[in-house]
Amino acid sequence: MWLPLLGLLLGISLGLLTDVQIPTIYESYLSIAVLAALDTLFGGIRAQLQQVYDDYVFVTGFFFNIALAAGLAFLGVHLGVDLYLAAVFAFGVRLFQNIAIIRRILLSKWNDKKAKQSEKAV
Amino acid sequence: MTKQPANKKRHSFKHQFAFLVVSIALGFLFAYAYNMAKTKDTTMTETNSSDFEKKEQLREGLIAQQERNKELEEEKLLLQQKIKDYEQDFSGSKEGYKDLVKQADDLRLLLGKIPGRGYGVTVTLQDAEYDPKSVNPNDYIVHESHVFKVLNELKISGAQAIAINGHRLKANSYIKCNGPVITIDDDQFPAPFVIEAVGDPKVLSAGLTLAGGVYDQLIDDNIIVTIDGSKQLVMPAVQGNS
Repeated sequence: MWLPLLGLLLGISLGLLTDVQIPTIYESYLSIAVLAALDTLFGGIRAQLQQVYDDYVFVTGFFFNIALAAGLAFLGVHLGVDLYLAAVFAFGVRLFQNIAIIRRILLSKWNDKKAKQSEKAV
Repeated sequence: MTKQPANKKRHSFKHQFAFLVVSIALGFLFAYAYNMAKTKDTTMTETNSSDFEKKEQLREGLIAQQERNKELEEEKLLLQQKIKDYEQDFSGSKEGYKDLVKQADDLRLLLGKIPGRGYGVTVTLQDAEYDPKSVNPNDYIVHESHVFKVLNELKISGAQAIAINGHRLKANSYIKCNGPVITIDDDQFPAPFVIEAVGDPKVLSAGLTLAGGVYDQLIDDNIIVTIDGSKQLVMPAVQGNS
C-alpha cells in the first residue's frame, strides 16, 4: 500500500524539479495526457468498487490511453481537424460518468451500512 | 483482486512494481503540467514588461538626442551670425572687400545656411474641389510637376531663397512625387503647398503671371493658385548638415 504513495510523491517531486520547457505547440499534448491519466485513475477506482478491477487492464489502460490521446491530437494537428477536442470531450464525459458511478456506489454502500446498523439496533 | 488470492500473490511483486510505475508517471505528469502552467504565466508577463521598458528607454534616448541636436543647431546658427558680423566689420574697414562679403552672403542664402528674410512672394497651390464629373482624381490634385514649374519660374525670376511649407530648399534639394504627398529631402508634405520665395516681389509675381506662363498653366490644370507679393518673409535655415 505504501509503495504507490511513495511513487506518487517521487513523481510529484520529480515533476516539480524538472525545468525543461516544452514548446507551446506541444502543450495541448500535455493537457490531454493529464486528462487521460485522470480518466484512467477514476476508471480504476470505479472498477475496484464494482469489483471488476484488473491490474493489467488498469496499468495498460493508463499508458495506452495517454499514448492514444497524444497520438490522436498529433494526427488532428497534421490533418487540420481538431481531434484534440474529440479526445478532450470523450475523456471529460467519461470522467464525469465514472465519478458519478463512484458516488452512487459509495452512497448505496453507506445506505446499506446504515440499514444493517438499524437492523442490529432493533 | 479478491477473486484469486493465490494468483495475486504470485504476481504480487510485478503488480506492486506496475503500480509504482503508474503512480510515478501520474505524479510526474500532474506536477509537470502544474509547473508548466505556472511558469508560462510568469514568463509571459515578464517578457511583456521588459519589452515595454526597453522601448520606453530607447524612446527617451531618442528624444534626448533630438533635443541635443536642436540645441547644437541653434548654437551653430549663433556662431554663423558671429562670423557674419566679423565679416561686416571687416568690410567696413576695407572698402574693396565689400563685394566679396556680399557675394559670400548671397551664396550662403542660396545654400540655405542662414535664415532668409525680406520681401518676396507667397504662392499657394491647392487641390481643386472634388469634381464628381471627373473620373480621374489626378485631374484636380497638385502634382510635383506643378511645384517644379513654380520653382523654376521663381528661380529664373531671381528668387534668392525658397521654402516649401516651411522647408527651406538648398542647392541640392530634391522633390519627389510620393502618391498623395510629395517628398522634399526625406520629409513628406501634403497639399496645400505654400511656396515662399525671397526676392523682388514685383519681378517674381510678374514672372509667374506672364500670359501663357506658369499661372495660366496651373489654372488650366484645375489648381487653385494664390499669389501674394506683399509680405515680409522669414524662412528658416536648412536643418541638419550639408
